[in-house]
Amino acid sequence: MRRVSTIAVAGIATAALAFSVTACGSSSEEGSKDAGIGLAYDVGGRGDHSFNDSAAKGYDKALKDFDVKGKELTAKDGDTDADRYDKLASLAEAGYNPVVGVGYAWTPSLTKAAKKYKDTDFAIVDSVVEAKNVASLVSAEHEGSYLAGVAAGLKTKSNKVGFIGGTDSALIKKFAGGFQQGLKDTNPKASLDVQWVQVGSAKGFGMPDRGKDIAEGMLSNKVDVIFSAAGGSGAGAIEATAGKKGTWSIGVDGDQYYDKGLAQYKNTILTSMVKTVDGSVYDFIKSVIKDKKPESGVQSYDLKRGGVSLSYSGGFINDIKPKIEAAKKKIVDGQIKVNDTYKD
Amino acid sequence: MAYPGRSGPRPAPPPSAPQECAIEAASPPKGAPAGAVTDVAVELHGITKRFPGVVANHDIDITVRRGTVHALVGENGAGKSTLMKILYGMQRPDEGTIAIDGETVELHSPADAISRGVGMVHQHFMLADNLTVLENVVLGAEKLHGISGRARARIKEISDAYGLGVRPDVLVEELGVADRQRVEILKVLYRGARTLILDEPTAVLVPQEVDALFDNLRELKSEGLTVLFISHKLGEVLSVADDITVIRRGTTVASVAPSETDPRQLAELMVGSELPSPETRESTVTDTDMLVVDALRLTATDVDGVERAVLDDIAFTIRKGEVLGIAGVEGNGQAELVEAIMGMRDPDAGTITLDGADISHAPTRKRREDGIGYIPEDRHRHGLLLEAPLWENRILGHVTEVPNSKGGLLNPAAARRDTERIVAEYDVRTPGIEVTAASLSGGNQQKLIVGREMSHHPKLLIAAHPTRGVDVGAQAQIWDQIRTARREGLAVLLISADLDELIGLSDTLRVMFRGRLVADADPATITPEELGSAMTGAASGRLDHPADDGTEAATGGEAR
Amino acid sequence: MKKLDKERVLLAVAAPVLALAAAFVLTALVLLATGKEPFNAFGIMFDYGVKADSQVYILNKATTYYLAGLSVAIGFRMNLFNIGVDGQYRLAAFFAAVVGGALKLPGLVQIPLIILVAMLVGAMWASIAGLLKVYRGVSEVISTIMLNSLSGILISYLLVDGRLADLDKQTNIVATDPLPSSSHFFTFPAGGGLDPIWGFIVVAALAGVGFWFLLGRTRFGFDLRAVGRSESAAQASGVNVKRMVLTSMLLSGAMAGLIGMPTLLNDTHQFTSDFPTGIGFTGIAIALLGRNNPVGIALAAVLWGFLERGANRLEFEGYDKEIVGVMQGVIVLCVVIAYELVRRYGLKRQQQRVGAELAAQARADKGIDKTETEVPA
Repeated sequence: MRRVSTIAVAGIATAALAFSVTACGSSSEEGSKDAGIGLAYDVGGRGDHSFNDSAAKGYDKALKDFDVKGKELTAKDGDTDADRYDKLASLAEAGYNPVVGVGYAWTPSLTKAAKKYKDTDFAIVDSVVEAKNVASLVSAEHEGSYLAGVAAGLKTKSNKVGFIGGTDSALIKKFAGGFQQGLKDTNPKASLDVQWVQVGSAKGFGMPDRGKDIAEGMLSNKVDVIFSAAGGSGAGAIEATAGKKGTWSIGVDGDQYYDKGLAQYKNTILTSMVKTVDGSVYDFIKSVIKDKKPESGVQSYDLKRGGVSLSYSGGFINDIKPKIEAAKKKIVDGQIKVNDTYKD
Repeated sequence: MAYPGRSGPRPAPPPSAPQECAIEAASPPKGAPAGAVTDVAVELHGITKRFPGVVANHDIDITVRRGTVHALVGENGAGKSTLMKILYGMQRPDEGTIAIDGETVELHSPADAISRGVGMVHQHFMLADNLTVLENVVLGAEKLHGISGRARARIKEISDAYGLGVRPDVLVEELGVADRQRVEILKVLYRGARTLILDEPTAVLVPQEVDALFDNLRELKSEGLTVLFISHKLGEVLSVADDITVIRRGTTVASVAPSETDPRQLAELMVGSELPSPETRESTVTDTDMLVVDALRLTATDVDGVERAVLDDIAFTIRKGEVLGIAGVEGNGQAELVEAIMGMRDPDAGTITLDGADISHAPTRKRREDGIGYIPEDRHRHGLLLEAPLWENRILGHVTEVPNSKGGLLNPAAARRDTERIVAEYDVRTPGIEVTAASLSGGNQQKLIVGREMSHHPKLLIAAHPTRGVDVGAQAQIWDQIRTARREGLAVLLISADLDELIGLSDTLRVMFRGRLVADADPATITPEELGSAMTGAASGRLDHPADDGTEAATGGEAR
Repeated sequence: MKKLDKERVLLAVAAPVLALAAAFVLTALVLLATGKEPFNAFGIMFDYGVKADSQVYILNKATTYYLAGLSVAIGFRMNLFNIGVDGQYRLAAFFAAVVGGALKLPGLVQIPLIILVAMLVGAMWASIAGLLKVYRGVSEVISTIMLNSLSGILISYLLVDGRLADLDKQTNIVATDPLPSSSHFFTFPAGGGLDPIWGFIVVAALAGVGFWFLLGRTRFGFDLRAVGRSESAAQASGVNVKRMVLTSMLLSGAMAGLIGMPTLLNDTHQFTSDFPTGIGFTGIAIALLGRNNPVGIALAAVLWGFLERGANRLEFEGYDKEIVGVMQGVIVLCVVIAYELVRRYGLKRQQQRVGAELAAQARADKGIDKTETEVPA
């Protein structure tokens, strides 16, 4: 302990540190448990037009409804588990309760934080952490994507459909797998072109220009419906389909028909695969702050629970609504088991 | 060897009493009456320039008469260049006055100097290769005579008036060195200069070109122009100058008339001591071959993608105790020859044998370990690590040898000790061995290199321009070192542009032209002029001096 | 001479101090411009940075950064700009994790094996750039940037359920098989509920000593530094520059292979898709800051860890977390500028001193000369 201090302080001396070293030893100040809501975004944070934003929406609503304060932190590129843990611990120590980790990348750090701060209620989005004081908010993206596949299969005229994923991660492959299955089950003649904006890097969620390039490439190959699960990059694909008559895009996460940034393209947004991260985050916060009965364990936001759905905004798929609802029923009833990963 | 038939302008023997001729000692006409200056073009009085701690100029007095060629001589680092920069407005003096045409002036920039009629031709030409002569001349002086017809007429006029023979519409890249120099001179004249400063103008020229330049200068003089001529080649100075000012260690030590002095005496004034001579006294050539080069061929691809031979059918032998000198205008393959022998370039054909062992394709390090010492032509690029301390520079090139290392490990303590020894023995002027090589003057850097190479007792020494840019004092030491080692059986390959050095040190002379060895000569009989003409490709084969047929030395004939 | 040395030490210290001071002033201005009170921000960072758990964090982070700095510095010492450290360490860590996860040998055998695999993979990946430079004249800057991209693609191709990794369906995390617990590296307990200090810090320290010894005390190191100072002079001195380029690329890559090891062996024990990225680039900054000197790099690594720790806190306190990024960038810029200024000043100063000493000698000589030459004519 003593040794640690001297070594580190010697290094810090290079930064002309004149501050007292009395702080050594005290690692935390315990605060009360009602500082408000702590929210930890994944890389990209608020403003990513994707699921961070979706979580932010639920958080904003909770702040208003329950009249509490909150604090948002954001992971950055290159953060290690230690960095992420530091953020969660900061929130917990300062008395924020509940603390929500948005994104599966928080899994190891949140596991550790939940162990240390047993009195704090945690939630993690898109992953599962097994601990009493953690709620795992997972969505059945593949089920919602299946319905998107049904819509695409019915709407395509060229029998060529495209899927653009932000990156080839396991989560995005859930979207791709469900979409593929829905498409094939509905329209066996249709072919699916799957492309990733950026292989192996979450940067693929923030490259709209690249998304547009890929979409334009697909369109020139006669693809006429494109489903993007690519965060901000999806906006590029939506823009591209708006530029070619008779082609459709399918939005993701939120109902992109109502996305202000995409208003000028809304008439070519066939539908959106809505994943209610906002709802699940809001529900969790409510269970802690209002109901005082914190959710815990796996909270599966599937088709049955309304965690994922297909939107009818714009009315472009009203004509095929019966077929979509029929497919939905089969999934809810368990007649159709949807693939949760994509295979070439 | 006793040089029986020596002729030509070799330095004459020292006068028996050097101090007795008409040398005005250190302080020449101090208060030259300012009124009577109509015949004085430039007068510098009491010029002092201090750079913190560095020798620059102090108390310099020079009076340059109008319509004369005035030579400024001194060792490297004596302060000539600083003085000329002051006169050309590139630097301001801390003390002292400059008077041009009798009027005291303050020069803030070269533009000021030019407007006062002072122009400078730099040692390194400042011409744009891809422009024509005309374009180069008018560049920056467009306001004078426009950029076309009038300018061309003016250029012709100047060129004819001073016999410069400049063709306005030729691309500069097509011109040789001497022509470029004339363009530089014309550039200065075009801008209305009445006083020309020439910084070491002959350094880049072969003897014939030097003569042509001097004719031009006489032409200028006869037209009433004034030339300030910086040099340390004393023979030239004596042949062209009307007045000579000697600078030593930043101050004027003498003003002499050429008729009243000789090179030896001038040199002694420059150095402040007795002059060294490059001449070797006796032959030490043995029968043992040390370096045998046979049918060496090296090709290189030039910028146009054409492969051409830079070395072709090169063959020579250097024996123990022999100095083989290679004469030639720079760029005729000397550098490539050195690099091939050092192993920095791999020859396409031919063999190189060192002391009986074939080293044609051995790596450089092996060759060095086997006993090749190397004094490179460009010491900054090939001889030193400028930003490293002296003791690390002492290791360079000999890192695998004692005392620098043992096993795979360096021995810095021993290397430092040995550096101290070199510094002392070779008179490297430095405050210590921890200073960087960059902080030494050129001569001291060179002494360090020579000391380093000699410390490993080479069998063969490659000395490329060993005294270039080195002051006279250091030059003498380096010559001595080479001579001493030669006596002990060292074989030396000497490449030099200084023909006196070449003739004086060599036992055998070969002339290189366009990658071939085209001629050979006996240094005992050849004159610099003859050698110079062979260097331009004008002569080939055996360069015999008719008068010396009977005394033909053994050396020349055996070279092949 | 003694005095000159003292001055050199002073100059050596002056550069980083100057740089840091300038960086703090500039950062304070940026903070002011954003309407925040700067000194409070520094206070928060310092307060937080010296806490015990922060110290553990900083040391662990610095371990990784130190290795990254060393790896880059090997290239820098001979004027090679190995930007590919990033790709090299990630690829190395990935294959090391795969090998480590597949074997169940005693730790004493398996840990060195894992480290060896990492160094080999790093070296091989770097050697591609080295070979391209030597035989095709491709700038290592370009090739290593491209190789960074390629290594990312290669990893994401292999890091897939069913190839070299497994997917945890619950957490959505794709990871290689975890290392057996026998292959976990030892740690130093830091006491009182704190995380332990990674034992790999010992390896990092040894790497630093090795770096110093290799470069400063061996023939090879001398040759390497000679190439860095003047390629032409080194070649004339007998160094095979091409081989040297290749060798130092290999060394740099092998060192890069170590960068991922503290994380792998002491922390995650497996390679996941969110294995830290970008450390190779941090290494460039740290090597610059540490002046390619093993001690300097250590201080720089600790400083960097400290700044990042402070960054986490600043964000929490409502400052823009980007401010620390700005600070880090400003420090690197200031360091580069300050070092260059100090280097030039030092060189000039030295030339002046040499000039002054020789001038003094000359004046002494001149006194004698004058009496000789001033004999009246």
